[in-house]
Amino acid sequence: MRARRVLIVDDHPAVRTMARLLLEDCGYAVAGEAEDVAGALEAIGRLRPDVVLLDIQLPDGDAFDVLGALGPRARPDVVLVSSRDRADYGPRIETCGARGFIAKAELSGAALAEVLA
Amino acid sequence: MRGRPSGVLLAGVALAELALATVVVWLTLESARDEPRLIGATLGPFIALSFLGVGLYAWRRRPEQPVGLLMIAISVTWSLSGLSIADDDLLATLGAYLSPLAVVLVLQLLVVFPDRPIEPAARRLLALGYATVLGLRLPYFLLEADFYDGQCASGCPQSAFLVSEQPGIAEAFLLASLIAGLVAVGGIALLLRRRERAEPQAVRYAVGPVQTAGAVLIGGLIGDFGLQLVELETLSALSGLVALLGLAALPWAFVVGLARSHRTNAAAVARLVQDLGATPDGGVRDRVAQALGDPTVQLAYWRDPPGGFVTREGTPVQLGHVPAGRCVTLVEHDGRRIGALVHDAALEDQEGLVRAVAGAAGLAMANEALDAALRARVDELEQSRARLLEVSLFERRRIERNLHDGAQQRLVGLALQLSLAREQLDRDPARAAEQLDAAREQLAQGLEELRELARGIHPAILTDRGLEPALRSLAERAPTEVALTGVPDERLPEPVEAAVYFVVAEALTNVERYAGADHATVQVQRENGHALVEVRDDGVGGADPAAGTGLRGLADRLQALDGRLDVESPPGSGTTVRARIPCASS
Repeated sequence: MRARRVLIVDDHPAVRTMARLLLEDCGYAVAGEAEDVAGALEAIGRLRPDVVLLDIQLPDGDAFDVLGALGPRARPDVVLVSSRDRADYGPRIETCGARGFIAKAELSGAALAEVLA
Repeated sequence: MRGRPSGVLLAGVALAELALATVVVWLTLESARDEPRLIGATLGPFIALSFLGVGLYAWRRRPEQPVGLLMIAISVTWSLSGLSIADDDLLATLGAYLSPLAVVLVLQLLVVFPDRPIEPAARRLLALGYATVLGLRLPYFLLEADFYDGQCASGCPQSAFLVSEQPGIAEAFLLASLIAGLVAVGGIALLLRRRERAEPQAVRYAVGPVQTAGAVLIGGLIGDFGLQLVELETLSALSGLVALLGLAALPWAFVVGLARSHRTNAAAVARLVQDLGATPDGGVRDRVAQALGDPTVQLAYWRDPPGGFVTREGTPVQLGHVPAGRCVTLVEHDGRRIGALVHDAALEDQEGLVRAVAGAAGLAMANEALDAALRARVDELEQSRARLLEVSLFERRRIERNLHDGAQQRLVGLALQLSLAREQLDRDPARAAEQLDAAREQLAQGLEELRELARGIHPAILTDRGLEPALRSLAERAPTEVALTGVPDERLPEPVEAAVYFVVAEALTNVERYAGADHATVQVQRENGHALVEVRDDGVGGADPAAGTGLRGLADRLQALDGRLDVESPPGSGTTVRARIPCASS
């Protein structure tokens, strides 16, 4: 089975680097990185990743803007990450169409695999 | 002619006009003409001397007002017009030619009375009057020999100005001047009527007699001119007599008005003094309005400190630029400024009344002024409290953002780094060690950021070691060279120390961000129970304390301690921030 291709969206370069290393260690292929809503949409259209690891708080909007712009069809699996607590976002996490949520400090290949399973 | 006329000047004018009037009476009695002389020999000089006497009095009393001189001019022109009775052709023609001049002068008197500027419409109508009397009527005397036109039975004088006998053309000019005169008189009557209605009652009461006499005069004139136009000679003469009576009454009406205004002023002030004793809260304005007869009067209260006028509701008002038609009279009590009356400018002529009212209202206004100052203070406190709340919300949001963007991200990064090191520990111990080193570095940076943040909330060095070490550490951390002088060694109340610290911190942050300065000095002194802070730099200046949240927030913080913040920042000459905080509270 070919490795699943992941797009990492986060505005902190250090976090992106760390996430790339962690995911690659677990056998994911990192297709690319983006740092804001506009960059994320552009990269999704261009790279067609299987999974998007999407930080909720972005400089020009948030993850829900990205999900809204993508629409329901032909969408990669979106996994939300945040350094805030899941409870800070209320029920939107469940209703927005994302596959799941991972606290940023707990990010690892295993955590991602668990959400996607 | 604005200074007070000397006695010699007044006596000279009086003697000259008396002489002229005597000559006219003599000419009247000596006249060979067959016409009634009683009016000419009695009412004529009576009018002349009335205007002379009242005019001299008014000129001496108020030399800056035109009324006195106008009355004297009316007296003289009136006497000159009496020359028309002379047997001599030249004197008679001159008298007849100049006779309506007094009428235009009287119209001007009514327009400027009691002391008004001449509005543009009135100026045009008066100009028409003078042009008609002196210009349009002249051809009549040049072209008509028998200028009495049948109104004198025998021994009639002939025009001394005659150039060529053209009775038809002369008649046309006479007609034109009658119509022009009618327009001028009618127009001015309308203007006066319109103005009368807008006057405060006290003014109307004082000028009423003059206005009534003026109305009789003008009514008589309009009747006279109009009836002449339709050639009803007898009725016209009767109407002219009415005008004459109005004219004769005018100076005496002036005297009556003067007496009235003194009497009513005294009564109004007496009533005010009596009423103010039993005035309910806030009733002073109504009583003052009543006493002045000016329903538009407004009261302003002096507030000291900080100096400045406020309304009774405590709202600040500027009295430097009152609108046209309004006038300010200051109110004092026991030599202390209490406030001001803002009233109709027409009351300027009633200076005595306004001053007496202001004096009587002083004590009552002093009580209200305390109220007004208190209200203004409450307003200010409410505003500053609301701003403090806003500042504190803003601060909390700032701290949350700082924590999220700073320490929290560092810790997240640290967690990820540790995860990574854990993953690699077995496969690649060397890389795991690198990751652990990086993690320690992250941790150190995170700690430093937390310390910085904590200092922004409340600096531990200030609590632990006091103002001087805290300010010294601020000065040392600043990239600009900062000289620190005069910081007191003893501890001040904690809120005062904190306020001083944040004034210096904010000022130095601004120096670093905007001033482009090489040097800054920080000075803290204790003076009369106050802490005085001054931060001065040699940078570009031009700082606007209203523009940023930083200085504004500081000002509110200081206001909560009854302190104040001043920023002086002329462009190109550096910036000086001064704070003054009372130390009494603890």
